[in-house]
Amino acid sequence: MTTRFFEDVAPGTKLDPLTMRPGRIQLFRFSAATWNAHRIHYDTEYAAREGYPDVLVQSHLHGCFLVRTALAWAGPGARLRRFGWRNRHIAVPGDTLTCTGVVTACQVEASGGGIVECELEERNADGVLCAPGTAVLELPRRPEKDRP
Amino acid sequence: MSTLDEVYQRVRAQVGTSRHDDLGRVSARDFQRFAVAAGETDPVYFDDASARAAGLPGAVAPPLFPTSVLGWDAGPPQDALRPDGTTDDEMAGLPLAGLRMMGAGQDIDFHAPVRDGTHIVRETSIEDVALKEGRSGPFLVVTLLRAYRDASGAPLATSRENLIARPEAEL
Repeated sequence: MTTRFFEDVAPGTKLDPLTMRPGRIQLFRFSAATWNAHRIHYDTEYAAREGYPDVLVQSHLHGCFLVRTALAWAGPGARLRRFGWRNRHIAVPGDTLTCTGVVTACQVEASGGGIVECELEERNADGVLCAPGTAVLELPRRPEKDRP
Repeated sequence: MSTLDEVYQRVRAQVGTSRHDDLGRVSARDFQRFAVAAGETDPVYFDDASARAAGLPGAVAPPLFPTSVLGWDAGPPQDALRPDGTTDDEMAGLPLAGLRMMGAGQDIDFHAPVRDGTHIVRETSIEDVALKEGRSGPFLVVTLLRAYRDASGAPLATSRENLIARPEAEL
């Protein structure tokens, strides 16, 4: 990963998209690592009784995919200040989930930190929005002599 | 079983109350298992030297680790789980028995990273509850405000999260 500097980013800059394909093993391990026994994530029969075609990708795993998209683009030295997401549409094992993002605002705070705001989207292969999100990142700044 | 409206009134009566949970000491193994399960490969979660090279004090937990973990202690025995497999504890002790729960998202401010040995204390406030009408019937949206601090009281993260509660499916 290369360092991304605040000075090289502007509103409209697109984040590098990431594609995920969560499967049953990932869902199982995510439930285990979060000590989550909710049947909707591993019991297909139970999920069917709730009207779903298969077990569901966890709310927080959608969030993790969006965070990874923001941080992988931002590179080493960036800090996540704020992040939010909403679960709008279900995803099931085998779905292809593509996360994209765009920079919506850039500002220098009083302390000199370079703050970048991004809008994020996770969509399935049909283009349905599964999880919108926003991230506020602090990016490293270029040395003063190199700034535009 | 009580109606959704009765549950709404009971939760409504708890808006403004808060509870304090000592979540205990986090180990690198805990958050690294979470990182692996989430598919993370960034070495800042796994390797102290890489984390220090990125300006961090050492390996850190993925940002969503503290707000994603549902159970922090051994948890209830199997026969004490709710029919959908969730626990009463996950619902901040709210009187939501008989409802199906679903996470709807979070808004999190990050103050300091969780590291190996961080002792987390969490304060949960019931901020709001709303009774809404959806395509498949009525549901509740419960809003929780959670403040995560370390043992010295220094803030780690603050999260506002929405839980959706719907009547049990016909089984």
